[in-house]
Amino acid sequence: MTGWHVDEETLRLYARGQGQLSFGASVEAHLISCARCRALLTPAVDVDRLERLWDEVVERVDAPRPGVVERLLRLARIPEDTARLLAATPSLRASWLLAMAATLAFAAFAAASSASHDRGTLLFLIVAPILPVAGVAVAFHGGLDPAYEIGLATPYPQFRLLLLRSAAVTAVTCITAFAAGLLLPQRALTAAAWLLPALALTSLTLALGRRVDTAYAAGVVVAVWTAAVVLGYLRLGSFAVFGIAGQLTYLAVAVASLVVLAAGRNPYATRLGGV
Amino acid sequence: MGSVLIEGVTKTFRRTAAVAGADFVAGRGVTGLLGPNGAGKTTLLRMMATVLAPDSGRIRVLGYDPATPSGRLAIRRRLGYLPQEPGFHRGMTVFGFVDYVAILKELTDRRARHDEVRRVIDLVGLASVSGKRIRALSGGMRRRVALAQALLGDPELVILDEPTAGLDPELRLRFREIVSRIGEDHTVVLSTHQTEDVAAVCHKVVVLNAGRVRFAGTPTALIERAAGRVWLDSARGAGARLAWRNGDGRVRNVGDAPPGAESIAPTLEDAYLLLVGDKDLAVTS
Repeated sequence: MTGWHVDEETLRLYARGQGQLSFGASVEAHLISCARCRALLTPAVDVDRLERLWDEVVERVDAPRPGVVERLLRLARIPEDTARLLAATPSLRASWLLAMAATLAFAAFAAASSASHDRGTLLFLIVAPILPVAGVAVAFHGGLDPAYEIGLATPYPQFRLLLLRSAAVTAVTCITAFAAGLLLPQRALTAAAWLLPALALTSLTLALGRRVDTAYAAGVVVAVWTAAVVLGYLRLGSFAVFGIAGQLTYLAVAVASLVVLAAGRNPYATRLGGV
Repeated sequence: MGSVLIEGVTKTFRRTAAVAGADFVAGRGVTGLLGPNGAGKTTLLRMMATVLAPDSGRIRVLGYDPATPSGRLAIRRRLGYLPQEPGFHRGMTVFGFVDYVAILKELTDRRARHDEVRRVIDLVGLASVSGKRIRALSGGMRRRVALAQALLGDPELVILDEPTAGLDPELRLRFREIVSRIGEDHTVVLSTHQTEDVAAVCHKVVVLNAGRVRFAGTPTALIERAAGRVWLDSARGAGARLAWRNGDGRVRNVGDAPPGAESIAPTLEDAYLLLVGDKDLAVTS
């Protein structure tokens, strides 16, 4: 017990949360050891304010700690609830991202180290658009999303979730592949020539997914794409499939697929009773 | 009309009929689906929960038709669902995972959502591990996480597929308390192998076998069916379908009692065994 006490005006200011931090700290230090001042403070405390503060404390303590992917999404100004839904995407998990990076690194190494660079570049140009397709195929796949069935029985629009996850996976994959492509000898081709094919193949996979499982759709799309590029290279002896005519074709495929995807009632929305 | 109406529902996987023309009604309170493995319980619950479509028949849940998109949306906004094998994002914390499902359940206001997440986590007794990652939890605790997400938003209809599987006796009792409380003013439909769970909390029991409803009524009515068919003797009776020696050394027989047999009060388990019991399961003294 001490002989000095906090005056009433100071206590009132403290109860209202007014004054500087050092001021509050001094008052608190005294209150801990002075029952008289605590008794004087009690009637001055705004109960509603105190409850709000307490709620805030509980909220801060309980709030879930976001993982790495979720933190990165929040840094990109994605809203908190959307970031949490995206962070649960199977193809945004660390294991998947590492596998994607390893595949790209292998393709890039082949492109950089082969004698003429052409075969390695061809491999890179085949692989780069396939990665977002694979990512999208598993982004909303029941076999890989452990909470898939729980999610199906909720009212959240499945189609919206599919598009959100697909957009996130495509963006992450394409940025990584773009960066890898810039480092390669034939960067005029490897940096961007695969971007429209990637968009076309990804949207085509989603459009086919209206009818069949996205994993099957992705398998067919990847097989046709690989065969077309290899055959084009063997018959024409160049990267003609990535020329102007080819790019316009990919753009047309992408637009047509997106139109099909958006048109009418979407089976993605109703599959397995989806909304 | 009840909260859940099932009429002539069928579902076949390849050539196996999982549900072969089921009919029953579940109203407010707790309804238990009881049956052996492969009886069709999970398939029926998944159809009620709008994650699986029937091949034929009529289903109405809370008055809505799950065959239509608007009906499904209406049902899902009023539904809490615990699947038989709930999956988790194991890297998430308990709070984070339940919060994830709360977002899917359209709880958009962050503060209100977190309050609700805290409420259900507390309800299942997991407040002390709320910040732990799911991968670090025991099987029983994970089961409670799954139960917590099913209770989010105080749903009108709660569907629980084998909620007591893997729980120790203490947790099963706690579960009964939670379900019983919810069943006071909501509809709960659960499946189980445990006749004790049904006897303890269910107002209605539906016994399924080979995709068909063998009985639908109160547990008391089911027990009454076994009246006079359970008796004590010094050995297995000729008409016994199942018999086992009790702790006091006498043989408890369930089946067709001989004249003059010393009948005793049957349990729900006896009645269930008589309804679906397999003679091959008989254990003799």
